[in-house]
Amino acid sequence: MYFNASDVTAFMAQKDFIDTAIVPLVSIDLATEKMKQSGAEADFIMSLTSFIEKQFKGRLLVMPPFSYMPSLKYDDLPQQLEVQLHNAGFKHVFFITCDHFWTSGGDSVNMIWLPAIPLESMDVNVKKKILEDQLRQVIPLLSTKWAQI
Amino acid sequence: MSKNRVSRRQFLSYTLTGVGGFMAAGMLMPMVRFAIDPVLQSHGGGDFVQTELKVTDITEEPVKVDFSFEQVDAWYKSDVTSVAWVYKSGDQIIALSPVCTHLGCMVDWGADSAHPDQFFCPCHAGRYEKNGKNIAGTPPTRPLDEYDIQEKDGYLMIGPTKANTLS
Repeated sequence: MYFNASDVTAFMAQKDFIDTAIVPLVSIDLATEKMKQSGAEADFIMSLTSFIEKQFKGRLLVMPPFSYMPSLKYDDLPQQLEVQLHNAGFKHVFFITCDHFWTSGGDSVNMIWLPAIPLESMDVNVKKKILEDQLRQVIPLLSTKWAQI
Repeated sequence: MSKNRVSRRQFLSYTLTGVGGFMAAGMLMPMVRFAIDPVLQSHGGGDFVQTELKVTDITEEPVKVDFSFEQVDAWYKSDVTSVAWVYKSGDQIIALSPVCTHLGCMVDWGADSAHPDQFFCPCHAGRYEKNGKNIAGTPPTRPLDEYDIQEKDGYLMIGPTKANTLS
């Protein structure tokens, strides 16, 4: 599910089943030498989250990406978001990012860090294969959490 | 000078007939083309998308087939990749939609080790029999949808979905 009117309506009606939020954390770095890398990361994260959404549409809601500039981020952003999302009825909250900054926060939140793979020069089929491989890494993380209840 | 010279009068009338003929044809051809257009329109195959799966390679075991088509949303065109589970039942080829009828996840064949001969939805453990029939007691409320299929040059073509006709 995506954060749009029709999917949110479905979420409201089926809170028992749609119990997981996926929050992409996207860094926007406008420094000349980092801008391209930043764009590649954003592209990768957005492609991957929509791929995850396609596979697990009925169980999770993909939030619009939380984007920030390096100077505008603060350490406990994920913790604060998690509290809000828990209050809204999500049992599981996963953050997904390419930014190393968040991995230092310890295990207090479910942070999935993945290295950005530049997708821009890839053929559609190769791209799909790469995303499938990445998804296969993410699935165990989701299913262990789901199995805990 | 040859004996049968073309007179000025003859030359002019030939030329005028020729040019007039071209002009008439130029006007009539589009009209005729418009008039018979409905007959020439291509039928069938329009909604069907070719896959890379050979019909002879299809077995009793369901396999995942990817196919992509161009989707037009108002002015926005995008390539959409879709998936079907294809297998053979007797002589009949079956293509089932992988979209779980509960909340729309992708089902997988034999992913649940306790039920290797069923479709399994990882989201809420919904299960379906091989023909797509939903198993009572699991969340889905109706069978998996089925695709219309065709064969072209030995390859499988996948068309629009319809309600399951097998269960």
